[in-house]
Amino acid sequence: MSGALARSGRFWSSGGWLGAILPPALVLLAVGLAVEWAKAAGLLPITIPAPSQVAAVAPAQAADLWWHAQSTLRNAALGYVISAFVAFTLAGVALSLARAERPILSIGVAIDCIPIIALAPIFAVWVGAGPTLGVVIAGIAAFFPLLLGAVQGFKATDANARELFHVMAASRWQRLRLLSWPSALPFIFAAFKIAAPLSLLGALIAEWMGTDRGLGAMIIYALFSFNVPVVWLTILTVCAISALAYGLIALVESRVVTWGTDAEAGG
Amino acid sequence: MTGIVIEDVSKSFTIGKGSVQALSDITVTLPPGSFTALIGPSGCGKSTLLRLIADVLPPTSGTIRIGDKTPDTARRAHEIGFVFQDATLLPWRNVLQNIRLPAEVAGIPAVRDPRYLIDLVGLKGFEEARPSQLSGGMQQRVAIARALSLDPKVLLMDEPFGALDEITRQRMNMELLRIWKETGTTAVLVTHSIAEAVFMADTVLVLAARPGRIAQSIAIDLPRPRTLAMMRDPAFNGFENAVRAALFGDEVEAA
Repeated sequence: MSGALARSGRFWSSGGWLGAILPPALVLLAVGLAVEWAKAAGLLPITIPAPSQVAAVAPAQAADLWWHAQSTLRNAALGYVISAFVAFTLAGVALSLARAERPILSIGVAIDCIPIIALAPIFAVWVGAGPTLGVVIAGIAAFFPLLLGAVQGFKATDANARELFHVMAASRWQRLRLLSWPSALPFIFAAFKIAAPLSLLGALIAEWMGTDRGLGAMIIYALFSFNVPVVWLTILTVCAISALAYGLIALVESRVVTWGTDAEAGG
Repeated sequence: MTGIVIEDVSKSFTIGKGSVQALSDITVTLPPGSFTALIGPSGCGKSTLLRLIADVLPPTSGTIRIGDKTPDTARRAHEIGFVFQDATLLPWRNVLQNIRLPAEVAGIPAVRDPRYLIDLVGLKGFEEARPSQLSGGMQQRVAIARALSLDPKVLLMDEPFGALDEITRQRMNMELLRIWKETGTTAVLVTHSIAEAVFMADTVLVLAARPGRIAQSIAIDLPRPRTLAMMRDPAFNGFENAVRAALFGDEVEAA
């Protein structure tokens, strides 16, 4: 048994830090170069700018971008955190009351089935088109994956492990702390990773309902003034924030879930 | 040392509207410090019997005593060690932490030093390893060490080496006998292997299915310590044949 071997195995399989960044970066670079070339060759419509055009407007837009992004980020993050609290509380109820599980999950599915773009105007009427709407829609968008992740995660304990804890005469609290919680962590992190871009998208859609601050508003302004490079700059910024949020959670996960889950254990 | 007394124990499960009798009128006494093997066809209720002793399931009728305690009291007093068919280690804990788990749950210091147990099951140097870094045989050794960590009065094993290859299995059996002798615990082993049952046990209980019942109790009158050489002994083969006859009855003659 050698730790070095296991480490190098992990290096090749999941690639470590560099391995995670490099392939997507290379793909993005290739796509960027291809678009640049296509634009220069006149193959693309006026609605698709060359990456160099987008980059050219970036410095002048940086301050605006940051000002708008702050608002979107704040709404998305707040909605995300509140949604996580609500989802975890409901998951707790669903798990401790067997009869409550189906109704709670059904409500989750129902909420998830209503398109956010249809919900946003309804809530705009109720709470106004300000930052509150952003928080609410971001929360709703993130809700179902968080609920499902928590419920499934806490149910994911191995049947034998449950018997083991019974034979050891473990208390309910010990089962939760020593068995259910660690078993649930991979599911919960997966849910958090899926929900983060969703809440950002929710905040963005809320801003289309007519607020004056936020990346969503910035996209609308740029669209109406037909400033194509700025539209794209804003979209790319949203993508970058989404990817960053996902990456940040994945980073925390890699520090917390240090044991190989079934998917990657491989002996 | 603690014996196990099982009296008129029956267990039935309700499946849909009907009820299936898994065990019927089991009466047997396992003396203190003995090694008993349970063998029988699939569905004969041997795992169920083990779980009744461990208080994982309650019997439908009849009584079980572990020493002077009920299974429930014995379990709460941490007198029962259980080894599952798969190791059932917590993947987020290393070997040492897994072995310490029962003491942690019980809120008492480990009765047997975890490092001594690691040595006992031959895993010295692997204290910090995660279960995913260990082979199946090594994981099962950790599970045995964990089951022994509070010095249980009875050690219940549900086909602990069923998933291992023949060579590893034989080696683990030798080690298990050595550990059993050192700890003086009353051991019950569920197995599918006739040779394993005869090699390990003082008494082989042959169970028959539908409903699960004890078809025959065969005392294995072979000297201890058991050695691999004994398996070539005509006496050993005699016991194997006796178990086989109890398992298959007339089929042995017919074939």
